[in-house]
Amino acid sequence: MRAQQSVLEQINLQLSERRIGIIGYNGSGKSSILRLLCGLMQPDSGTITVGEHCTSIGAKKLCRTIGLIFQNPDHQLIFPTVIEELSFGLRNIGYSKAEAIMASETILADYQRSHWRDKPVASLSEGQKQLLCILSILLMQPSTLLFDEPYSALDYPTRQQLAKVIANLDQQVIMVSHEPHTFAEFERVIWLADGKVQMDGQPTEVIRAYEANAEQRNHL
Amino acid sequence: MISLYLATPTWLHRIRVSYKLLALALISLVLIPLNSLWLWGAGLVLTFVLYGTLGGEALKQLISFRPILWSLLILLVLQWWLAGWHAGVLLVLRMSTLILLANAITLTSSMDDITEVMLWLLQPLKKLGLATELIAFAMSLCIRFIPLLIAILDHLIDAWKARGGGKQYWLVIAPMIIQSLVFSQHVADAINARGGIPKQ
Repeated sequence: MRAQQSVLEQINLQLSERRIGIIGYNGSGKSSILRLLCGLMQPDSGTITVGEHCTSIGAKKLCRTIGLIFQNPDHQLIFPTVIEELSFGLRNIGYSKAEAIMASETILADYQRSHWRDKPVASLSEGQKQLLCILSILLMQPSTLLFDEPYSALDYPTRQQLAKVIANLDQQVIMVSHEPHTFAEFERVIWLADGKVQMDGQPTEVIRAYEANAEQRNHL
Repeated sequence: MISLYLATPTWLHRIRVSYKLLALALISLVLIPLNSLWLWGAGLVLTFVLYGTLGGEALKQLISFRPILWSLLILLVLQWWLAGWHAGVLLVLRMSTLILLANAITLTSSMDDITEVMLWLLQPLKKLGLATELIAFAMSLCIRFIPLLIAILDHLIDAWKARGGGKQYWLVIAPMIIQSLVFSQHVADAINARGGIPKQ
């Protein structure tokens, strides 16, 4: 709910493709869908099922099934050093301190970032912070990753590199963006407008219609 | 997120957090009863020397203390008026020395290690049935939030100045409170999205 106005209405979706893009203008309800999917927000009516769980069990219990990478890494990163940030989630799901640190070191090594271990999070660049956010969620081994405008603060080369990292993930990816070309390689694109599904289908068709619509509208 | 933690490891990083905290407690206990301005002045100078041995990055951190200088100045004036200049200067020397020493510990200790010491210190409360891990987590979050709140304040003051705002800086208090609350919601989301508060 944003100022007592419903953000999403009559949404009925089955999201099973490996790469799904959600596109829409600001205020269309894109981010709300992600918050609903990971249990940070609960629907006023209706139900949402992720895997075999209903999202009403809440974000804390869903974090091993579905993980959200926040739009602004500074909102997601809580701890002063990389290793603490990575092991935080694992401690919550029952790892001992030593196990959590070992798993975190392993994932850093997998991504050739072992030298990050004791770095202060504040010293990382925006793109590096974004990668750290992804790694800290990957450690929880969710089957689905949710990305909220992951490229919005990145320069072009960093954005390309991050896109490559995301493309190589084994997990299902559901990504939100207002920028259509992000989804050129995706399997399915859903266009949200005013909290409703405007169009749902192959990227080429949806992107073309979305661009045509954006041309016509004067938003300023 | 900005951090009160130094990137390059220094000699102070290598000392155990419990020893550093114990040293701070001892220094405070021994020095506080003493009233000599010379002694406290020397203490402050030695504290700056300590920062010097930690390197340029630590010295740069001292700049983030500017906002505190104002409160110290107010305290100085108040104390001067109420109890004379000696008491005023003494108070300011004492507070800045101890705050800077405590800050040196925060700069060189990871949050995990600080939390561990807190949990150890809180053990007696645990026997009374209190959820000490919650207290320890809240305390470590407090430490994390200090530089963050200073940064929010700096941004607001910059925005205020950039649009020709006058000297009435206190007007940024309301947006400051709103932004802090919004930020606390983000942190709560971040914690919940990763399984809630750690159980030790």
